Amino acid sequence: MKKTYLYIAAFLVLVSTGCKKDYLNVNTNPNSLPTATPSFVISNAMNVSASSLVSPNELGMMWSGHWTQSNGYILSTTTFQYQFTNNDYNYWDGTYDNLNDYKFVLDNAVAYKQEYLLGPAKIMMAFNFQKLVDLYGNIPYTDALQGVKVLAPKFDDQKTVYENLITLLDGAIADLKKYPYESTNAGADIIFKGSNLNWIKFANSLKLRILMRQSRISGRDSYITAEINKINTEGSGFITGTEVGVNPGYNASAGQINPFYNAYGYSETGARIATNNYPRITEFAVNTLKATGDTIRLKRVAYAVGNEDGANPGVSLKPELTSNYVGTPFGVGSGFLPTNTSAVGPAFLTKGVFNKPFVIMTAAEIQFNLAEAKQRYGAAVTLAGTAKSYYEEGVKQSYRALGASTTGLAALLVSGVNDVDFDASTNKLNAIAYQKWFALGYFNGLEAWSEYRKSGYPLTPQSRAVTTTARPLRLYYPGTELGSNGANVNAQGTIDPLSSRIFWDID
Amino acid sequence: MKKILTSLLLAVLCTAITVSAQVRQVTGSVKDESGAAVGFATVKIKGQTAASVADEKGNFKINAAATATLEISATGFALIEVKAKSTSLNVVLSRKVDDLENVVVTAQGIRKKSKEIGYSYSRVSNEDLIVGRSPQLTQALAGKVSGLAVYTVNNSVDPAVKVVLRGYRSLTGNNEALVVIDGMQTTSTVLALINPNDVESVTVLKGGQAATLYGSAGVNGALVITTKQGDKGKLKVSYSNSTNFEEVSFLPEFQELYGSGSHYSTSFGGAGYLTSAEARSKDNWRSYENQQYGDKYDGSMRPAGRTAPDGSYLNVPYSNIDNIRKKTFDVGLSTNNQVSFQGGDASSTYYLSVENQKINGIVPGDLSDRTGVRIKSSKEIGKLSTSFNAAFTQAAYDRTGADFYADILNTASWIDLTKMRDWRNDKFANPNGYYNDYYNNPYFNKDINRLRYKDANIQGNFDVSYKAAPWLTIYNRLAVMNNSRTQKNSVEKFTYSAWAKSGAVVPAAFDKGDGSGIYRAISDVLGSVTDASSTENVVNNEFQLRVKKDISKLQNNLTLGYSLYQRYTKSINIGSTSIVVPDVYNVSNRQGVLTGGESNTTERKFGYYLDLNSNLKNMEWLNLNLTARYDATSRFFKTTRAANQYSYLYYGAALSFVLTDAFPGLKSDWLNYAKLRSSYNKNGNDNIPLYGLDLSYSNGGNYPYGSNVGLTVGNTLPDANLKPEFVTAIEFGGEFSLLKNKVNLDVSWYKQNSIGQVLTVRIPNSTGFSNLLINVGEVDNWGYETDLKVQVLRKANLKWDVNLKYSYNDNKVISLYPGITSFQYGGYAAGNTNVVLGKSFPILKTDGYFYDDGGRGLRRVNPTTGYPIRNTALVDRGSTLAKDMIGFGSNLTYKNWHFNFNMEYRGGGVMFSYIGNTMTFTGSGKWTERRTDHVFPNSYYIDPTSGKEVVNTTVNVREPEYGLWVDNYRNIHENYVTPNWFVKLRDINLSYDIPASLVKKSRIFSSANVAIYGRNLFTLKDKLNYYTDPEFSFTSGNGIGINNTGQTPPVRQYGFNINFVF
Repeated sequence: MKKTYLYIAAFLVLVSTGCKKDYLNVNTNPNSLPTATPSFVISNAMNVSASSLVSPNELGMMWSGHWTQSNGYILSTTTFQYQFTNNDYNYWDGTYDNLNDYKFVLDNAVAYKQEYLLGPAKIMMAFNFQKLVDLYGNIPYTDALQGVKVLAPKFDDQKTVYENLITLLDGAIADLKKYPYESTNAGADIIFKGSNLNWIKFANSLKLRILMRQSRISGRDSYITAEINKINTEGSGFITGTEVGVNPGYNASAGQINPFYNAYGYSETGARIATNNYPRITEFAVNTLKATGDTIRLKRVAYAVGNEDGANPGVSLKPELTSNYVGTPFGVGSGFLPTNTSAVGPAFLTKGVFNKPFVIMTAAEIQFNLAEAKQRYGAAVTLAGTAKSYYEEGVKQSYRALGASTTGLAALLVSGVNDVDFDASTNKLNAIAYQKWFALGYFNGLEAWSEYRKSGYPLTPQSRAVTTTARPLRLYYPGTELGSNGANVNAQGTIDPLSSRIFWDID
Repeated sequence: MKKILTSLLLAVLCTAITVSAQVRQVTGSVKDESGAAVGFATVKIKGQTAASVADEKGNFKINAAATATLEISATGFALIEVKAKSTSLNVVLSRKVDDLENVVVTAQGIRKKSKEIGYSYSRVSNEDLIVGRSPQLTQALAGKVSGLAVYTVNNSVDPAVKVVLRGYRSLTGNNEALVVIDGMQTTSTVLALINPNDVESVTVLKGGQAATLYGSAGVNGALVITTKQGDKGKLKVSYSNSTNFEEVSFLPEFQELYGSGSHYSTSFGGAGYLTSAEARSKDNWRSYENQQYGDKYDGSMRPAGRTAPDGSYLNVPYSNIDNIRKKTFDVGLSTNNQVSFQGGDASSTYYLSVENQKINGIVPGDLSDRTGVRIKSSKEIGKLSTSFNAAFTQAAYDRTGADFYADILNTASWIDLTKMRDWRNDKFANPNGYYNDYYNNPYFNKDINRLRYKDANIQGNFDVSYKAAPWLTIYNRLAVMNNSRTQKNSVEKFTYSAWAKSGAVVPAAFDKGDGSGIYRAISDVLGSVTDASSTENVVNNEFQLRVKKDISKLQNNLTLGYSLYQRYTKSINIGSTSIVVPDVYNVSNRQGVLTGGESNTTERKFGYYLDLNSNLKNMEWLNLNLTARYDATSRFFKTTRAANQYSYLYYGAALSFVLTDAFPGLKSDWLNYAKLRSSYNKNGNDNIPLYGLDLSYSNGGNYPYGSNVGLTVGNTLPDANLKPEFVTAIEFGGEFSLLKNKVNLDVSWYKQNSIGQVLTVRIPNSTGFSNLLINVGEVDNWGYETDLKVQVLRKANLKWDVNLKYSYNDNKVISLYPGITSFQYGGYAAGNTNVVLGKSFPILKTDGYFYDDGGRGLRRVNPTTGYPIRNTALVDRGSTLAKDMIGFGSNLTYKNWHFNFNMEYRGGGVMFSYIGNTMTFTGSGKWTERRTDHVFPNSYYIDPTSGKEVVNTTVNVREPEYGLWVDNYRNIHENYVTPNWFVKLRDINLSYDIPASLVKKSRIFSSANVAIYGRNLFTLKDKLNYYTDPEFSFTSGNGIGINNTGQTPPVRQYGFNINFVF
């Protein structure tokens, strides 16, 4: 009998001493890091800011009339019949996710003694917030990115957000002047390799983009001119002669090649990707370039029918005669097989050229913004050049960016053709708008669509797949935000993407 | 001690006295129903202690008076009483069947008498499991237990199965039942590997109280699997072979009138636009189209596809080939061979089985091969009894990774796919010459795209039990399991010929501006390889003190337990998306960087538990069962967290009341037994994703780029106060035996409430995060179950039993995170499953039609085009759970013949078949057959001038030969929502025992049996369900109810089985 009590005692000893906290202390995640250094976070954030533009740029290319889809695919009713819902084109979630990484950099840069990242992080935040406003109008800004602190962020007025972005960029410039980039960490800056001056120039260029987007709003002129003059006073100037591009080190490996090249061109091994057949140059774009005598740029943005000669990269399989460049009517569902129409050209897709930076802003766009500012505001802005000089520099930069021969450019600019020859153009603003629309194409499709919505020029044909005249003017707030932040989304009123306009889109 | 000695002495004396009266020796033999000897049976004289034990051949001797009654018993057999009139007896024992006095193995191996149990359980014996000779245990359970839903969510040589008891409790966490094999807590992976024939029985513990001793793991109920133990007696060897055929049981309904073709090329109203739909469809015909919107089959000879370099082309009749899609699949063949050895002596038993199962699936080339060995033995040495159990299973699978089914749907019915198998040699089957411009030859795709993997599972336990005192048993069980998988996925490299890329043309007479080159040849198949391996290791130790002690009149059975559990997993994969040298699938044969990843997890738990069963002497009709368990789990552990955040106590009580024992006067010829039961239970659950307490920072997409490092902030924000959730359950039930025990009825009602679920809540992305992990939400789950067993006939040669099971289960989302009324599980943008506040879950939502205000069910069309207008809003279509389940089974025995079958009905919900969208896109669906001018059925439009609703009898759809279907009807996903009910003949079996006389002559066999059987021989489904088996689902997660071409078509299986015992 005593023996059994012994067993019980042994049992009690065992269970009371057997398990200590140490036994349970296995709950540290072995699969991911518990924290991160801001410089590593900003590298990825910049890369995502670029690669996540591929999809919205494609939509922008379609809805700005540059591209349509080839008839090797069933016509997308969402894109070409505008039958999209709040589950389609969700560029919201990814952008806020990306913004949160910049927010992490802002919150942690000081602790990690990487204050030089504050400026770039703010600039990239401004870049992304503007994209959100241009797609969605009112958005959470002041309440945004607060984590558990604000679980239902309120929406801010879009115009106020725009103004806040200018302030944010001013703050970025101040930070950049205060904290020089640490040279050992310059590699983490996959945009400017640690050049604070270039970051400031980019901030100025971005400010100009934000300001000029509002140029058609009546009563906004004094604000815009004052802000432009502030940029001039700051003195660092704008990005000139080169594009702002992101390059984390694109190389010939799966997933690590330039995302545009990877989306529509070739794989890392040089095999053509099936979606090379997807985007097609619109009939409007091809015919306009032919009509304006701008065939040099046509042959850079498009291949002749039959596409690129695989054995001779950058050159069409068929003779590069103007007649061999065939556009596809916008939104047409059949009758234009890929083999019979022009695909994206050598300036963007040349077999083997997989590691070019992903461009987020072109030098040409900046020149056209300056041209528009000078054209609209004249002496009210203290810019040195004339509208014409900025305009012609813009066209020149577009040629340069496309790798087009400038041999005939001088003649073209005095050809007397409307929207090409500045002096001969009946409407200077339209000429600037048209050239800007074209120069933004392929690089920044989303910006091309925004400019198209802002200026309404050039007037591209309506989709063949619809019978009405209405076109998309914005996107729905995504279903994800509606489902989790319903009251604030509903407070923005009923959204009809075919009639609700962004504040800078006045007509 | 003295007392015991005295009573023993008295007993001996008494025996001596009896012996003196007319006693003589009685000899006999003990056999089972099949005539095989039963060794070591105990032979006892009724009312006396005198006993004898039979030898291993079943022969016994005992001294007994002619008036005495002998009680003969053996493990696994029912006790039998025989009068000792004759001095030579032949005793036949029958295997023990479920009866009310049966001892049931409950949670943690605690044995209880049936009448003591105050909650619902079900026991399925081996005979019921192997009726349909299913190679998978779970599928063999389908329809046999009320409240148990077995979902075969995908069909292949490695079917994906999901087992749910009493519906869903957790919104986003695990709802699957715990699987316990011989006391060890394992995972459902083991279910695919165990040989059903090795299983003695499965006890299904349905509710929280039943499984509470398993801790968190038991919150969803448990399947307690007991494997076979050797019968005491001489060596018994049995051999069994099954040969099984498998064929597609049904496919979606196809149109058989139209061949290849696509969209009309002229814009509506444009120059040269043809106004006749028939004329347009002639124009739409294309030799190379995957879509099937061409003109009507006319039997004329037409080219399929484009020309070969020599100018030749495949010229075939333009007419439908009957059943061509079905013929594209194979008739699967599988064979199962197994042999088992068992035996034992008075103090030990052993069981050994070896099984091999080879399956060739319906998708050509898919196969699996499983070999398993199981050893179980036990030994008693005095007060010590030990048992040892080990199983090793190895299974190899070779399956296609291609969407074979979708590829078939993209093939028009005039193309004879059966002639396309030899794509390596046949120029028109080869990708360089295959007719279809957009989709490759299904046989090519499935051949080049392979998933090959090998699973190895070792599982075993060692039990020691020591009877320290008559009232105390000390018990320990150590169990281990290791699962490992090694996998290689590969895609064969294929480079298109220059001719295919840019030369192939449509023969001139048929060319409609089709250009040159096969569209799909634009991109070569680069080939790829992924190599992965994973391992899972589980260690589980249970230490118990089992105390049986009376305190005056209070009789107690107490189990105190201490449980340790550890699970470790590791998986690693590497791969390359291109290979250099064809056919060499090694990651070193690559261009560019390696892709890959690694995942490791460790979780640990410990717990103390007690189970107390008490009743009063002479009042054994009332039993109280108390349980409690204290658990601590690593999932919630941090050194900085308080103990009450990672450890928790929970408890329950159950009461059983045998009415007919308490009031014997109630017993009558029609009421033989009545028991009422009730239970209350609170169960803790550590249902949090592993390492869910930490915000994680992982590599950004595609990073690192060379030496450039990139990290990203995780998107799931953990709440700082996370703690385990609790589920409370109440249950009432009763068991009744009626009409001389011929009718048995078991009913239960239960309700479960789960609060503070650890939920990944979707928060606005504008917060910077997409999800918040937090204790939130409340869910109710309730239902009832009825089991009816009837002995319809009991004659000498004829025995017929039927059983009927009905269960109903529903749930309701009581609360979610404030401000959130619903969230999505997943699916498609326009058709998905959701959690919706105030409703049962999952709820299917799809876009759909606009309906008229008059409630006539009319669907809005465009007044100009006549096309239905898509309402893009996602509307509730109902719950995807099958709330009602009915099982019906019958066992009929006539002489040597046995005839059994089981049927199951499930229904009460809806399903969504994306196949419908795919088949509308391709034009293969029967519903797309209406391609002449017509008014969209049951439609109305809004008059543009008056703004009023007008019943549409006049506006024809614009292009019924294409535009209606592909551009309009296809995108309205309400079209593919159908009721999810079905009736299946789960299994059917006709077997014949070869007469003992015949078998004996062979001098080899002691018994033999042959059987023919079938599984899922027929399936009834809703007439609107054109698509597939409602059980199928694209996910095995909680968001069930959506199926697509990823699941191969449903199959029926039939075969024959032979069984010999040596």
